[in-house]
Amino acid sequence: MTASGGRRLLAALNPAAIKAGLAPGMPLPDALSFVPGLMTVPADPAADTAALTRLAEWCSRYSPWTAPDFQAGGDSDGVKIEITGSAHLWGGEAALVADLSRRLSRQNIAHRLAVASTLGIAWALARHAADAGAPALPAPEDERAALAPLPVEALRLDLDTVQGLRRVGLRHVGELYPMPRDALARRFGDAVARRLDQAFGDLPEPLSPLGETPSRRVRLSFAEPIADPADLARAIERLVEDLAARLAREGMGARRLALGFHRIDSRVEHIRLGTARPSRDPRHLAKLFAAKLDTVDPGLGVEDMILAVFAADPLPPEQLVSHFRDPPPQAGEDVRRTSGGQVGASSDIAFLLDRLGNRFGLDAISHIEPRQSHIPERASIFVPINGSPHPPAARAPGLPPPLAGEGLQFATGEANSLSRLASIKSSPASGGGSPRRSRGQVGASAKPPRPVRLFRPPEPIEAQWVLPDDPPFRFTWRRRQHRVRHADGPERIAEEWWIEGDAAADPRGSGDHIRDYYRVEDEEGRRFWLYRDGLPGDPPPRWFVHGLFA
Amino acid sequence: MSFSQVMRDDFPEGMPRPGPLAALRERIRHIEQPRSHGVLPFGVAAIDRALPGGGLALGAVHEILGQGGDEEDGAAACGFIAGLLARFRPGPVLWCLKRPDLYGPGLLAHGLDPARLVVLAAPRDEDILWAVEEGLCAPGLVAVVGEIGRLSLVAGRRLQLAAEHSGVTAFLLRRWRNSEEAARERERPSAAVTRWRIAAIPARDIDDPRLRHLIGTPRWWVELLRCRGGVPAKWEVEVADATGHVRLSPELAGRPAAAQRLAAEPRLRFG
Repeated sequence: MTASGGRRLLAALNPAAIKAGLAPGMPLPDALSFVPGLMTVPADPAADTAALTRLAEWCSRYSPWTAPDFQAGGDSDGVKIEITGSAHLWGGEAALVADLSRRLSRQNIAHRLAVASTLGIAWALARHAADAGAPALPAPEDERAALAPLPVEALRLDLDTVQGLRRVGLRHVGELYPMPRDALARRFGDAVARRLDQAFGDLPEPLSPLGETPSRRVRLSFAEPIADPADLARAIERLVEDLAARLAREGMGARRLALGFHRIDSRVEHIRLGTARPSRDPRHLAKLFAAKLDTVDPGLGVEDMILAVFAADPLPPEQLVSHFRDPPPQAGEDVRRTSGGQVGASSDIAFLLDRLGNRFGLDAISHIEPRQSHIPERASIFVPINGSPHPPAARAPGLPPPLAGEGLQFATGEANSLSRLASIKSSPASGGGSPRRSRGQVGASAKPPRPVRLFRPPEPIEAQWVLPDDPPFRFTWRRRQHRVRHADGPERIAEEWWIEGDAAADPRGSGDHIRDYYRVEDEEGRRFWLYRDGLPGDPPPRWFVHGLFA
Repeated sequence: MSFSQVMRDDFPEGMPRPGPLAALRERIRHIEQPRSHGVLPFGVAAIDRALPGGGLALGAVHEILGQGGDEEDGAAACGFIAGLLARFRPGPVLWCLKRPDLYGPGLLAHGLDPARLVVLAAPRDEDILWAVEEGLCAPGLVAVVGEIGRLSLVAGRRLQLAAEHSGVTAFLLRRWRNSEEAARERERPSAAVTRWRIAAIPARDIDDPRLRHLIGTPRWWVELLRCRGGVPAKWEVEVADATGHVRLSPELAGRPAAAQRLAAEPRLRFG
């Protein structure tokens, strides 16, 4: 029952109501006069849409090319499934339809089913030829003949066109067959011709599936629905083994997977996974799924589990070395065990990264990488391992990328054996201008010292100094006062004027992007990296603590 | 060794069968001295003497605390750990933190190549704990560092077992949100094999009076608060250099007062 313009109308009816003579669109008072004991509930289109979408998702157990089919009429909503590639798994189209019909009946969903070579014919047959319990499965050569006696509404035309056709006396689809297309188009618009072409397969009508199309799928169906987590875990192991065997034959490893749990109440739950490196190790994948198994609600039971791969990369055989450690023994148990050796160390790390990435997101795992920049917060950034660099908050659009082909290395030092970077002899020292070394450091090394902690963004402090050029003798940071006993510096770092739109962490945009850094030690020995932002003068420049030394 | 194995009848002729008591003693000895993965000496005789085995135990959990304001920032502890990691065998290190304020060039100054690090940013202590435990189950890692605040004794024991099993060394850099949390948590018992407190102390005085205002060689006050199989001790050292080594600070002339004050009451510096 819906409300429309102040009147209450019937929206949808069950078969018994139709038999009693009611029809959609009838006003409620009239309906009640027909059938005094009529039960009504308010219509909820949103819930209907959601329910149909869920049903379509459940129907994907037959084929990943499944989508809900919404028509403007509302009454003839349905689900369309492309079963070309999967009918054989059920023993043929008829068997598949019978299985679907049985399961839908079990859920008390009234349905009419049809199978045909094109979506147009199937749609038409389902709504106008098939009946409950009598699905329409014409042989391919009989399809045109099956379509002919159906009313013109079966062509998915809008109301005006249908009325136009009927007015001219064209009531059945078969009457349209011999008519020239251009005449139809002139008289009734393109729609009629288009629908006919689609029905006959002359015009392709691809089915956009609900959700992404997987590249590989393995399915496990259960005679009895299962809900116990232990059973689900065992089923996961079976599925990943099947998938692993298949991927091994193809020499591929999975990068993105989804495991669908099809419940008997036609809801589908999913676990989605990503891996940092392609993997077809059944134990590793099973463990990743098992870690998220408690997010799945099996309801009253799961009848199918479908493991789908959405992205895969080549994985030659020698990279696959499973070095999965058994869990540590309980206290008191013998700790004797043989050492695993060096082989497979890198696959250990890959598995670790997968487990961390699936819990925290691959964005949360990063490497520290150097960048060619004088600005301290840009000279070293966190780069997530899945590629897309996460620059610090104040990233200018023209941030210099790493030198192509060469790579950078932090300051001095030999290349580490695990370093992914080639080394170059020197890296840029500080300062857009020349650092004023008149007050240099004792035992000056080639590189000015850098702190172990760097605050992003730098934290403002209140500083007091004697001369404008001096480091402060006292400053207040986080509501604590520090008295400065010793100081090194200044080290001048200017903005990188060659980068367009460089903000250099100075929101004032005054163009005076000079920082004078001082390494100061307070009376307790803590060593801070402070800087004065802007040249001394009026207005008084601001001071920040940028980092802490060890 | 289980009882059933001991009770087997296949001992060589003439040898007295060890009784169940001996087997139990053997088993207890085995539990008390878990499998050793070796040690990493500091290269400083005074420190290595205080540690069982002559160095920092590998395949074990070590806790590093800061002092005063550094209990929130963990800068000195970070440098200390960097110096140690620099001297481990080459290999990847997992570093788990809640605040992404780790700075590569600073780590390099203490000898640690930042390219070895895999950095995980996680929001809560429970996440850090989980990640450290996962890292300890990956023998491909050389070490795991977890910047963690709250840690229960049971969880610490679990980490210790995992470290012993895999040989990966764990450093728990204790870092708290504020001084209230620090006051609550720093006294909790821990299951770590060693527990250290690192505090930055004023650098060594420079002899040249014209350069007195500069910072000299930075120093740490390193306290071994607790050591399984050893005794607590304290040292004044120069911070880890570019090779990761620390050195004992030579006796100071003219500034004994500061060091003695610290030795007496290290906890009362921040009110």
